Amino acid sequence: MTTQRATINPSTLEQKQPKKRKSNFFRANRGDSKFKRLIIHIILILYCLISVYPLLRIFSVSLRPGNRVLSTDLSIIPPDATFENYEKVIFEQGLFQWIWNSLAVTITTAIIGVIIAATSAYAFSRYKFKGRTTLLIYLLTTQMIPTAMLMVPLYILAINLNLIGTYRGLVIAYSVTSVPFSIWILKGYYDTIPTELEEAAIIDGASPLQAFWKIILPLSTPALAITFLFNFSQAWNEFLIARVILGSNEAILTWPLGLNRLMGQYLVQWGQYNAGAILVSLPVMILFLAMSKYMISGLTLGSVKG
Amino acid sequence: MKTFRIFMVFTILALAFAGCKAQVEVPTGDVIIQLWTQEGESDNAYQYVVSLTDAFTALYPNITFEVVQKDTETLREDFQTASLAGAAPDLLWTVSDHAGPFTTAGLIQPVDEYFDMDLYVPSVVMNDSTWAVPISSGNHLMLIYNKDLVAEAPADTDELIAKAEELTQGDTYGLVYNATEPFWLVPWLGGFGGSVFAEDGVTPTLNTDTMVNTLQFLYDLKFTYQVTPESIDYDTADTLFKEGKAAMIINGDWSLGAYKELFGDKLGVAPLPKVTATGIYPAAYTSGKYFMLPKDLAGDKLDAAIKFIEFATNEENQLNQLSTLSRLPGLKSVLSNEAITSDPILAGSALAMSYGTPMPTVTEMRCSWDAMKPEMNLVLAGSETPADAAAAMQAATEACILQLE
Amino acid sequence: MFNFDAIIKSLSEVGTTILAVLLIVVLLEVLLYLILVKWLKVKNSLVYMLISPAILGLLVLQVYPLLWEGYISMTNMSLSHFFNFDFIGLKNYVRVFTEPVLKQVRFFPLFWRTILWTAINVVFHVTGGMILALLLNREMKLRGFYRMLIIIPWALPQVVAAMAWRGEFNFEYGWINIMLKNIGLQPVQWLTSPIPNFAAMCIVNIWLGIPFMTVILLGGLQSISGEYYEAAEMDGASNWQKFWKITMPLMQPIMSPAVILGTVWTFNTFNISFFINQYELESSDILVTALFRAAFQYNRYGFSAAFAFIIFFILLIYSTIYARSTGALKGVKD
Repeated sequence: MTTQRATINPSTLEQKQPKKRKSNFFRANRGDSKFKRLIIHIILILYCLISVYPLLRIFSVSLRPGNRVLSTDLSIIPPDATFENYEKVIFEQGLFQWIWNSLAVTITTAIIGVIIAATSAYAFSRYKFKGRTTLLIYLLTTQMIPTAMLMVPLYILAINLNLIGTYRGLVIAYSVTSVPFSIWILKGYYDTIPTELEEAAIIDGASPLQAFWKIILPLSTPALAITFLFNFSQAWNEFLIARVILGSNEAILTWPLGLNRLMGQYLVQWGQYNAGAILVSLPVMILFLAMSKYMISGLTLGSVKG
Repeated sequence: MKTFRIFMVFTILALAFAGCKAQVEVPTGDVIIQLWTQEGESDNAYQYVVSLTDAFTALYPNITFEVVQKDTETLREDFQTASLAGAAPDLLWTVSDHAGPFTTAGLIQPVDEYFDMDLYVPSVVMNDSTWAVPISSGNHLMLIYNKDLVAEAPADTDELIAKAEELTQGDTYGLVYNATEPFWLVPWLGGFGGSVFAEDGVTPTLNTDTMVNTLQFLYDLKFTYQVTPESIDYDTADTLFKEGKAAMIINGDWSLGAYKELFGDKLGVAPLPKVTATGIYPAAYTSGKYFMLPKDLAGDKLDAAIKFIEFATNEENQLNQLSTLSRLPGLKSVLSNEAITSDPILAGSALAMSYGTPMPTVTEMRCSWDAMKPEMNLVLAGSETPADAAAAMQAATEACILQLE
Repeated sequence: MFNFDAIIKSLSEVGTTILAVLLIVVLLEVLLYLILVKWLKVKNSLVYMLISPAILGLLVLQVYPLLWEGYISMTNMSLSHFFNFDFIGLKNYVRVFTEPVLKQVRFFPLFWRTILWTAINVVFHVTGGMILALLLNREMKLRGFYRMLIIIPWALPQVVAAMAWRGEFNFEYGWINIMLKNIGLQPVQWLTSPIPNFAAMCIVNIWLGIPFMTVILLGGLQSISGEYYEAAEMDGASNWQKFWKITMPLMQPIMSPAVILGTVWTFNTFNISFFINQYELESSDILVTALFRAAFQYNRYGFSAAFAFIIFFILLIYSTIYARSTGALKGVKD
């Protein structure tokens, strides 16, 4: 067999029509030496350690009694481990209250954001109208406005509209800032759904709205899920806008504002802060892991043209 | 004769009233005071603020409070923004250097006409007006030592260095302090005879021999005498001292509470030792916590606020604050109270405070802090000579002041 | 632990919010319907009705503040001119380029530093992500386990991660210096020296950003059908050729959006630069953190507004070029 240096052209390969088989990139997998596989496992394990180690350190500081953030002792579970920081931050500081507040705001934001974005993105995808290009570019650039720039006028605006210290203000602010990014994601996804589906429905007598509701939306569930997730995670971690709007209302602080109160000018309550950080990260991590399958498919589907 | 007596009566009455401040009455309607404080929960201070407001409401049920806690920088920023939007809070309980920006922007009002400032420790005075009422004083640095390791506080810096050298062995250090913040540099600057500003309080005098000597002193502590760890920040210093691995620490009165709990009788407190070369005691910056009144506060809210301030700074509550927070009072009469003189820690703290100097609150001070901080870090990292650092500090401060528009 | 008043309050707040939003949207739609369909009889009015809630919200909450900032950027508003500022035209814009933006640092060094920061991060993100994706794209035991652990940095809130890493960079007690000492190397002044601090920022951001890239690239790899590789193997291609001629071109549509979004996000990342730079070294500031400091620490409101607009215009130019080149501005029917 001659071994030629082949020039490879994907389009010509397509015409070969081989059978569809599920296979991975390195099909030579099976022939891989044990040594090669061992190396790969070692690399992955090393990287996993790097990934996880800082989290373990946060955990170990949260287990130390008192405020000992610094210590030459590198053990993950300190010899005098105790849950007192967790107790303090939950019962004395009211961490669960903050988490509850954050959940209330974030879930509402995500739902409203998805609804508004789903309808608007449909318009951008299916219709050509004056100003569409400009609006799309504007939506993209809103992602790039540094939040610091908006804080002062946003505050003044919120005072005038009586939104200070209320969830209304925060939810509206979060939904609006998450809408542009959501529209871009959903529009990309809608663009991959062929219009023939709606056209068929309309010929059968459905109104455009019904076509949207009954056909497009069910097909877009992955993208909607992803939009929901992104909105959720952005609102969940957000600090600056929450500070502007909720800053004076102690009862309904979200968790970034709450944990921030553990930081005095010189004295930081590291033990409690880290305990709070672990507790706050867990729900998000579980949510991410559960939905990670959706996220992969959604991000690629929107960009690969069929 | 009769007219003369009547005249005398009137004169005496007039003189008597001249010394009186306007008597403020407690308002009778419902008043809600929004109080912003930067007191944190970690040193129990926030709880103290709330207990004070609760006690006041118990006395006058028609006056209630909304206490909002913000950390120091946030409070300053938010107060400025809120004032801009016309939604400023009703009362501030905060640090003195906030007065600088607030007076520059015209956001607070003078307090001279409502309070007799002679009753209090020196407060924030700018442009011939007083802008704040002290609740507590101090916030000053002092020499805190572990009596197990150091029997008696050193009297001057040579003794300090000698003792520290003796004690620095293995993983124990003789002396630790927050070597990253210029707040820990200025006392020594005073000890060498210098100061951040000239007499007028706004012209920086950083490029001076005194500054060079100060920086050299700190450099020597680390490199020549090697009595301090290689790199120390607040947390590191605090941890080392708490673990018994540092004999002496330079820290402020806010830390006394936690140290007292840990060390009890073994805790020693003294003023920073005088600089041998000059014979001057280091002048730590003193400030404290202050009440400030927003500019547009008027009517019932103003009266209620004034009454509350009087309440919070009366002798009973000041003594209460002393025992709860271990903070020196803002009311002068309480400073000489037995409660302080009989407690060695408080007495040591009061003595240290007496050598201090009030922290400048002018807006230009911010420029000085920002200029001193990186240069101090560079000198202590060994990357810059004290002379160059002093010159750089001066240049940066001047540039910053120009930009203050 | 729970403040029941607050729980009830928060629930009622949520309820009123939803009602308020519904009310506004319904009113808006009815109004538009009446105006566009019944009165002006505009074609395609459905479109305008669909996009109007979003546009209205954006107008109020972003355009108004932007206009305000635009106005302020042309005044000399600062602490000493807080309520009584004067209009000074475009002077602030000129000053951004000619004067130091903070204490000493000037605009162009900041700009190039931000570009450097973005470039380093994106290169490592993509390379690291690609390597991990290639390794994970095999059938092997524990694959799910690895994927789970690798995702953790992405799921951690940025501020928490920044604070945790800052602790690790501590000179005496941080894990990194302790490891270095154990190996026999000199510990590094991560937090107080300019170049190590910048390196520290990059390390943290790379650690945070690789999982995102890995997940996207892995998805992309998995969507490439194996037939291409089989065919290539039959033609005798080497692994290297397979990668560059098949994998990379087919990954293009997936990599481009990810890379470009990643670039923008990295350019604007505030948290990492702000928190790792514990001692406020001006050499570690990037454009957005300098903007924040100019506005809030130095209170130069007018100046920082102009500064913010300049950053905004830079990104506007970049994003317009990106959007046009990837055809993302076109709709389905174009």
